[in-house]
Amino acid sequence: MKFLKKSDRIDFPEGRNTPCLLLTLKADMIPIFFQLLQKGFMVKTRVGCSIKIFLLEQLGLDPEYLKKRVQTVFLDSEPVDNIDTAIIKNGSVLALSAAMPGLLGAVLRRGSYYASMRSEISHKEEIESVPLQEGWVVVKLFNLLIRELGPIFLERGIWIKKNDLQGFFKKHLNGLKVGLESIRVDDEEYNLEKLSKMEWTSGEFFLKIRGV
Amino acid sequence: MDKILRINMGSEGGPKVTEEARGAYEGMGGRTLTSAIVSGEVPPLCHPLGEDNKLIIAPGLLSGTIASTSGRISVGCKSPLTGGIKEANSGGQASQVLARLGYGAIVLEGKPKDDNLYKIFINNDGVKISPDNSLKMLGNYDLVEKMKEEYGDKIACISIGPAGEMKLSAATVAFTDMELRPTRHAGRGGVGAVMGSKGVKVIVLDDTGMKMRAPKDPEKFREANKIFTEGLKKHPVTGEALPAYGTGVLTNVINEAGAYPTNNFKWGRFDNCSAISGEAEAEIEESRGGFTTHGCHRGCVIQCSGIYMDKDGQYLTKQPEYETVWAHGGNCGIDDLDAIAMMDRLDDDYGLDTIEMGATIGVAMEAGVAEFGDADAAINLIHEVGKGTPLGRILGNGAAVTGKVFGVERVPVVKGQAMPAYDPRAIQGIGVTYATSTMGADHTAGYAIATNILKVGGYVDPLKPEGQIELSRNLQIATAAIDSTGMCLFIAFPVLDQPETFQALIDMLNAFYGLNMTADDVTELGKKVLKMERDFNADAGFTAKHDRLPDFFMKEAFPPHNVTFQVKDEDLDRVFDW
Repeated sequence: MKFLKKSDRIDFPEGRNTPCLLLTLKADMIPIFFQLLQKGFMVKTRVGCSIKIFLLEQLGLDPEYLKKRVQTVFLDSEPVDNIDTAIIKNGSVLALSAAMPGLLGAVLRRGSYYASMRSEISHKEEIESVPLQEGWVVVKLFNLLIRELGPIFLERGIWIKKNDLQGFFKKHLNGLKVGLESIRVDDEEYNLEKLSKMEWTSGEFFLKIRGV
Repeated sequence: MDKILRINMGSEGGPKVTEEARGAYEGMGGRTLTSAIVSGEVPPLCHPLGEDNKLIIAPGLLSGTIASTSGRISVGCKSPLTGGIKEANSGGQASQVLARLGYGAIVLEGKPKDDNLYKIFINNDGVKISPDNSLKMLGNYDLVEKMKEEYGDKIACISIGPAGEMKLSAATVAFTDMELRPTRHAGRGGVGAVMGSKGVKVIVLDDTGMKMRAPKDPEKFREANKIFTEGLKKHPVTGEALPAYGTGVLTNVINEAGAYPTNNFKWGRFDNCSAISGEAEAEIEESRGGFTTHGCHRGCVIQCSGIYMDKDGQYLTKQPEYETVWAHGGNCGIDDLDAIAMMDRLDDDYGLDTIEMGATIGVAMEAGVAEFGDADAAINLIHEVGKGTPLGRILGNGAAVTGKVFGVERVPVVKGQAMPAYDPRAIQGIGVTYATSTMGADHTAGYAIATNILKVGGYVDPLKPEGQIELSRNLQIATAAIDSTGMCLFIAFPVLDQPETFQALIDMLNAFYGLNMTADDVTELGKKVLKMERDFNADAGFTAKHDRLPDFFMKEAFPPHNVTFQVKDEDLDRVFDW
């Protein structure tokens, strides 16, 4: 199955005044970073559009992949049934998952036959229109989508909140010792020791992972 | 499968074995058979631990055949936890082995007149029962090792741990897996306590020399099984998500929905959920040389289980399932997978239901017995149960008893049984099933079984809220029928999405038994099972008042959605109007 549209090679723009952290490491170490994708990363994007337009045009997902694979969608914790009409706002949290097992997996799927079992929390259509404008969206990836989309998004680069990144390195610093080729923070070369002593002054970081 | 083995543990002169033809129980398997025997032979007002209760262990209708994923086994009795009828089912090897030995069910009856603890050995030559008091208070792991020394490693064991011997209401019946480890459990409702009350520590099965069960129409059966197996393999849930991550794959998703009960059902979002997700579990298992893809019995093509190693790369337990990780994890504010895996191991060894124990520890934490998030304290509480201390005996009798002893108001139980890992305020449809199920709060009582194809109860508009009652009813009917086949409930998704897979399931049953069953017959079977169970419960004293959620679900708004349970009592009372 194809994950992205054929002609698209979308790079997320680096934010001005946001430190850029580039790690080059062995490709089989990339899954260590998947936990960050579960917690959520930020995407600078045009908001006020539907989830479908965001996923196809901003993230560049393949339409068939979106239709068949992205079966469970949450917008601000609300299960979404119709991605054509659910609108992304500035600060929205969008979580994406494949089809899940069990009754609850069935219940939470978009357009589920069992959708009425969770009607109290389902996403309701917007009454007021949301203007098209630049904004930020937090995207979370779960399960099969992490394995399939995670390496692509990590290579493009993602914005991560300082606390999430700090916590991640605190937990995984030792695990990164084997297989790490290089670390660059903006234009400066770092090593793990220097990274561990780094002052995390910015609220967000732009993280890029390159597998070799 | 054409015989029923009855063992009267209370006979004069010691346990007495009789084998009989199925008679009135012809054509029944799994839950249909256990519920039919309980409702027909057990006095509804008897004491669950007394001589009149019976413990029935019944393979599913397709167990012991080449049908894939058909190794579920049902355990039925009057429940010491709920006081009503109980069917708890499990994976493991025993269902296939017992079916191949030719037994449709083992029925343990009566009550021993002495204090001896018995072991039962069943093979092609017959049944041997002997007292063996050296087994007293052994954990399931040590017990199985002893059985291996005595009977070899071609066996399957059905056993109880110390919790069952102490007749605690959270006690399970354990079944060994492919590696002969006691990791699969009929967990719910205290079925292990009933086995303990019969004085039976272990049933050892050996099917050496026995063959696969033969279908009436081998060609049609083989073809239907091929289509069914292909359906399981090609579906993204059973062919990809479950094999890759196990049931823990649900953790992130339920948490994102704000339906993940946290800190004893206080709110629906656990902050550090990603640390205990199925994805995190798989990463740990792979990095330590465990397995993320593993079956609980031979012939399973879904392979949703795994092997969890400790930090030193040594076997600790099977991959803890979603419900276990939630119960001992988020529900108790614990985000340490190694600690959760240790609790899973201890539950399996002592023979305790992981859902009931996790919910109970959550209630105990609410009472101040331990702090939320304190993993060491939680582990110690399970040891208290295993040792049988006064505190342990309170905890081992479940969340309802613990809540009463410690004066806790927020106790998440229905009919005395602890709620699983989905809050009914966020997912109100499952609240309907929790409230009305004959089993007490049970997430598997109304599974996503193809009600769209079965058209049970007619068409339901999926986007209208009023469909909740009808959907819960239809799901409970369909699940009661599937629970009789021996099929794992995870077949639900391919059966739901792929009509040819559903048809293949019916074709397998028809080809094996020479029947002409239709989808309507499946529906009627489900209704028949539920009616038997409802009637038993009514005679045991259950009324509409027992089909309700605890009061706090109607009063406490549940963050992040800040909703209360809205379904009206009069609507709950309509669930079984068909």
